[in-house]
Amino acid sequence: MKVTFKIWRQENRNTKGAIKEYKVDGLTEDMSFLEALDHLNELLVLKNEKVIAYEYDCREGICGQCGVFINGRAHGPHDNITTCQLHMRSFKDGDTIVVEPWRAASFPVLKDLIVDRSAFDRIMEQGGYITAKTGTAPEANAILIPKEVSDSAMDVAACIGCGACVATCKNASAALFASAKINHLNNLPQGHPEAHKRVQEMTYQMELEGFGSCSFTGACEVECPEGISITNIAEMYAKYTKAKLFG
Amino acid sequence: MAVNKLFFRKTIIAGTGLFLCLFLIVHLSANWILLLPEETARELYNSYATTLRENLFIKSISYILYAFIVLHVIYALLITIHNRKAKPQKYVVNHFLQNSTWTSQNMGLIGTMILLFIVVHLANFWVRVKLGMGEIIELDAIGNLDVYEVTFSLFHNIYYVIFYTILMIPLGLHLNHGLKSAFKTLGFYHKKGLRISAKVSLIYAVIISIGFGVIPFFVYLK
Repeated sequence: MKVTFKIWRQENRNTKGAIKEYKVDGLTEDMSFLEALDHLNELLVLKNEKVIAYEYDCREGICGQCGVFINGRAHGPHDNITTCQLHMRSFKDGDTIVVEPWRAASFPVLKDLIVDRSAFDRIMEQGGYITAKTGTAPEANAILIPKEVSDSAMDVAACIGCGACVATCKNASAALFASAKINHLNNLPQGHPEAHKRVQEMTYQMELEGFGSCSFTGACEVECPEGISITNIAEMYAKYTKAKLFG
Repeated sequence: MAVNKLFFRKTIIAGTGLFLCLFLIVHLSANWILLLPEETARELYNSYATTLRENLFIKSISYILYAFIVLHVIYALLITIHNRKAKPQKYVVNHFLQNSTWTSQNMGLIGTMILLFIVVHLANFWVRVKLGMGEIIELDAIGNLDVYEVTFSLFHNIYYVIFYTILMIPLGLHLNHGLKSAFKTLGFYHKKGLRISAKVSLIYAVIISIGFGVIPFFVYLK
């Protein structure tokens, strides 16, 4: 299998980047997309050229590291997957594949396809946790949680913080990420004591980081590897209003 | 803690937008008088127009309406400027139509077309009828300003007929996305309810855009 990669190359956050073309032969349909990039990097090493910088860790869709924009879509042409779950069989022999880093002012490019997503960490620092005594594990049934509540919390706790929601959003809004993290904890009894503070502080940090507004295009839920629904954003708005009124 | 700017601006857009949606229902119901035969329509329409101008309650509502249109536009502009800053660099390739609708991605552009429509519409009616500027409007048989005649002559100009009808397409698109999004922005998150609100928004947008869009044609054919 032979494809042409058009990949964004950028030395560091202070330099200007550009798309560079690479014709790559010797790929197979069974290769994952990241393996195809590995293959290209091996060819670059042999030619004594700088390898393409991109992030990955688990290669099984749970770490959220491998986010890149492939042929005009976050994580490639399929809905609700990560880049590491994308395989070369999704492309045809002779295809041109354009690979770009996430685009958002809050996610500056560090090198080639790697962006700095620490803005998400700073949002988490403002309330993406519960305050509890550490020590031995508490009795499992000490706090009873209805199944539907734990299910809904789990649905959003599944967010892996990959940043595809921000990347695909025309406004670079982090509303889906923030709402997932807020609703996860605010809907559980353990999160209730800090619920009002959490929603206000995490969303305030989101604003400080320079993310845009949500326009409800719905693109984020299509690109989210966990399929987190945009109704969570509406729920976050409701929680925010409640916190402002009663918090 | 300070009010979140991102949320505050969207809430203003949603709140003013919902009010404008209500206004359009009232506006359309009254304008359907124009579809009646001329002998009935002229008198009825002119009396209605006089009531709108002279009733104190409606007058105060009209000031709220002007204010809300201005607020809707200003906040849309502020949000757009902020959003552009949040995404300064575009993708070389972006197939956004595979994950969202064209309308949802272009609300600003569609809104600008509607704003252009509003300016032309106000210049044709509001400036002449309310401000008394431009060509003098005659009185009808019972002494009301003959606003029907203003409409009648305007919609016998084929260019205006086309303009008024074509611009109802962006209005319909804007209303469909705007209405269902407004519910979400205002914190309505019941999943089944949102599915219903999406259907209601679509039906509403179709009725309003086609409802307004057919009027110029009907008047033109009279």
